[in-house]
Amino acid sequence: MQRALVEVLLLSVTAGVLGSWIVLRRLAFYTHAIGTAAFPGLVLAVPWGIPAQAAALGTALGFAGALDRLTRSGRAATDSATGLLLVGFFAVGVVLASDVFEAGAGVDRLLFGSLLGVSELDLWLTAAAAVGALALNAALWRPLLTAGFDPSAARALGVPATTADWLLLVAIACAAVVALEAVGALLVIGVLVMPAATVRLVARSVPELQIATAALAALQGVAGLWLAATLNVGPGPTISVLGGAVFAAAALFLAGRRRLAR
Amino acid sequence: MDWLLDPFSGAIGRRALVEVILLGLACGPLGVWIVLYRRSYAAESISHGMLPGLVLAALAGVPLLLGAAGGVLLCAATITLVARDERLGGDVGVAVAVTALFGLGAMLALAPAVPPRLEELLFGDLLGVSSGDLMAAGALAAAVAVALAVAFRPLSLVAFDAASARSLGAPPGRWQLALLALLAVTTVVVVQGLGSLLVVALILAPGAAALNVTGRLPAALGLATWLAALAGAAGLVISHHLAVAAGASVALCAVAEWVLSLLAWRMHAPSPPSTALPADMFAQAR
Amino acid sequence: MSRGGSRLVEVSDLGGGYAPGAEALSDTSFAVEAGMILAVLGPNGGGKTTLFRALLGELPIRRGHVEVRGRPAYVPQTERARLDFPVSAVEVVLMGAYGRTAWYRRVARADRGAANAALERVGLADRAGVRFGQLSGGQRQRVLIARALMQDAAVLLLDEPLSGVDTASAERIETLLSDLRGQGRAVLVATHDVDQARRWDRVLCLSGRQVAFGPPAETLTTSVLRATYGAELVELDDGRYGVRVDHHSHGT
Repeated sequence: MQRALVEVLLLSVTAGVLGSWIVLRRLAFYTHAIGTAAFPGLVLAVPWGIPAQAAALGTALGFAGALDRLTRSGRAATDSATGLLLVGFFAVGVVLASDVFEAGAGVDRLLFGSLLGVSELDLWLTAAAAVGALALNAALWRPLLTAGFDPSAARALGVPATTADWLLLVAIACAAVVALEAVGALLVIGVLVMPAATVRLVARSVPELQIATAALAALQGVAGLWLAATLNVGPGPTISVLGGAVFAAAALFLAGRRRLAR
Repeated sequence: MDWLLDPFSGAIGRRALVEVILLGLACGPLGVWIVLYRRSYAAESISHGMLPGLVLAALAGVPLLLGAAGGVLLCAATITLVARDERLGGDVGVAVAVTALFGLGAMLALAPAVPPRLEELLFGDLLGVSSGDLMAAGALAAAVAVALAVAFRPLSLVAFDAASARSLGAPPGRWQLALLALLAVTTVVVVQGLGSLLVVALILAPGAAALNVTGRLPAALGLATWLAALAGAAGLVISHHLAVAAGASVALCAVAEWVLSLLAWRMHAPSPPSTALPADMFAQAR
Repeated sequence: MSRGGSRLVEVSDLGGGYAPGAEALSDTSFAVEAGMILAVLGPNGGGKTTLFRALLGELPIRRGHVEVRGRPAYVPQTERARLDFPVSAVEVVLMGAYGRTAWYRRVARADRGAANAALERVGLADRAGVRFGQLSGGQRQRVLIARALMQDAAVLLLDEPLSGVDTASAERIETLLSDLRGQGRAVLVATHDVDQARRWDRVLCLSGRQVAFGPPAETLTTSVLRATYGAELVELDDGRYGVRVDHHSHGT
């Protein structure tokens, strides 16, 4: 349980820093896709005996690269290409899993995480991801801010917007890969996107967004763990449901306040 | 020849074959429209967000079809509520809502002492289709296919020129809603065979593949139906001989059709390369 | 820089486009000297934005030659910027200094001061901390111009800076443009306002290709306008001409 708590707190750093950019640059579906596309890698990591995160990152980046080639050349529409490539990767994972796992429990762990079973290696990798996210955020602050605010003028302003964007996409992939050990390949949005989406409803500046998101992510993570233990259910799904409930509550509260103000 | 017919020598295999062919009648043409209307995200979202309905039906011992219908309704209602508010950033809100619903389904499924065989809800149970399921699937799929055929003219008007469609007697809002309703019904039918996570393959891939091969809409609709049925049959053959999950095999065959169609596309003129920034390329379009 | 002395922008026989085989712009040749305002006229899709992209170095050039002094400052139409992005006005203006700040350095204090000064020049010093999205259309346009001022560029490109802007902001912006001209910079303004174009130094008419280039008196003739705008040209009662663009017609 202690390790789970540490993992959650480390993840909230990444959730605060990168989650904010994910929400601001509308990359929520990309984040979800990366998590899901990592699934075949996770399945293969078991018989191949390599660290899950490495295999996951491999297939995830493979997915991102294939999607980029498809959409950049204009060969396929972004929305259908993303969905089809994603379900293709996922189906490959399922077919492989029929071979690798006899019982369903193994697959459940991959899909919904095993927060209570995180290893020391997982913790180190999550910590590394957190440090990396902070470093990237500091180094690329200006190009990311400029490109997010005004894509058409970003390059004209002389900032390395294209490079910064690529680094951001890779960083998000790394964040998704460490998050999926905790909450599962299908629920990375619960950790990386939900807190940021909630805080964004009220944040007035990007630093404010990042700090408040990290705090909310930590709170939701700890509360989710506690709730999961009390109800005797998996912590991964619990964190997602809790995150969604908080988001809904915040949205309703704000909508109500706006209506009163009229 | 025996190799091809082997999977269908028993009643189970034959029922599964009939099921996929029936599903193909609906999924083929529907997928063409979904791709044309750029509603692929809706197909993804509805199929994932319906999970709580499936789980509750399995826990309560109620027919899966009812659970699927309930799940889809709840999901569609939630998405409509969220997508309306611009301040929630449209797609981010939908992603949050769908993931929360999916998580809820997983919570319900992983909790009780006797889990309702979550794998079947996620990946389908194509070989476990009963005669009752088959009749329901047949009826619904036929209804969808007929509806799409009848609505051909207004749907194509709205797809190609939404601005003037209204003046030609086809208000876009109504027909977009009709299409989403048909998507919902089809999802409910297909989920028993392919599961919540793989439904989208059979719904989108044959349609997308057909559109890559031919530019003429009626031809694409027909080709997509044929491709969907083919993916189903081929998937069953592969699943039988390689002893892998049936639903996933069908899904893979469908996606393979799409991948192959991309290579055929090479022969058409390529579109201009995009000059958007990398993150904006991956970002969700509105 | 002396008036009419050095050429800050020189374009000859320019042709280019995005799609293979299709040309967004062709046969374009003109020059802009220091201390001049060039009005770029033309219908939507006629090549104004494409030309700007070429001057910024973002367009694949098939033929011809483009030479620009330094990196131009670009003021896009306000709708392009994200109104829901949580940045304040002064933060936007500060972006103008990013191009000259190395990635590992903090933004210089001098630049921070310059940002506040730029906001004062556009008359928004009291709005520095307000969120960009909460400003009015005219105020947002002024903030983007302040950002361009920050870049201290020799050449400025403005894309329809006066469309949809309130009168007070429009006057301020026009004064600013004159100031920039007085400082010896080259200012290129894409516009639909023929009346406005008459008041400046040179006019360039584009409609997929160059129709005319020269002083307003020679260029803004009926035949040129018709060739540029085609069906969008509207003849008003007193014999003058306006351009019908998105249901707004600008009188000449």
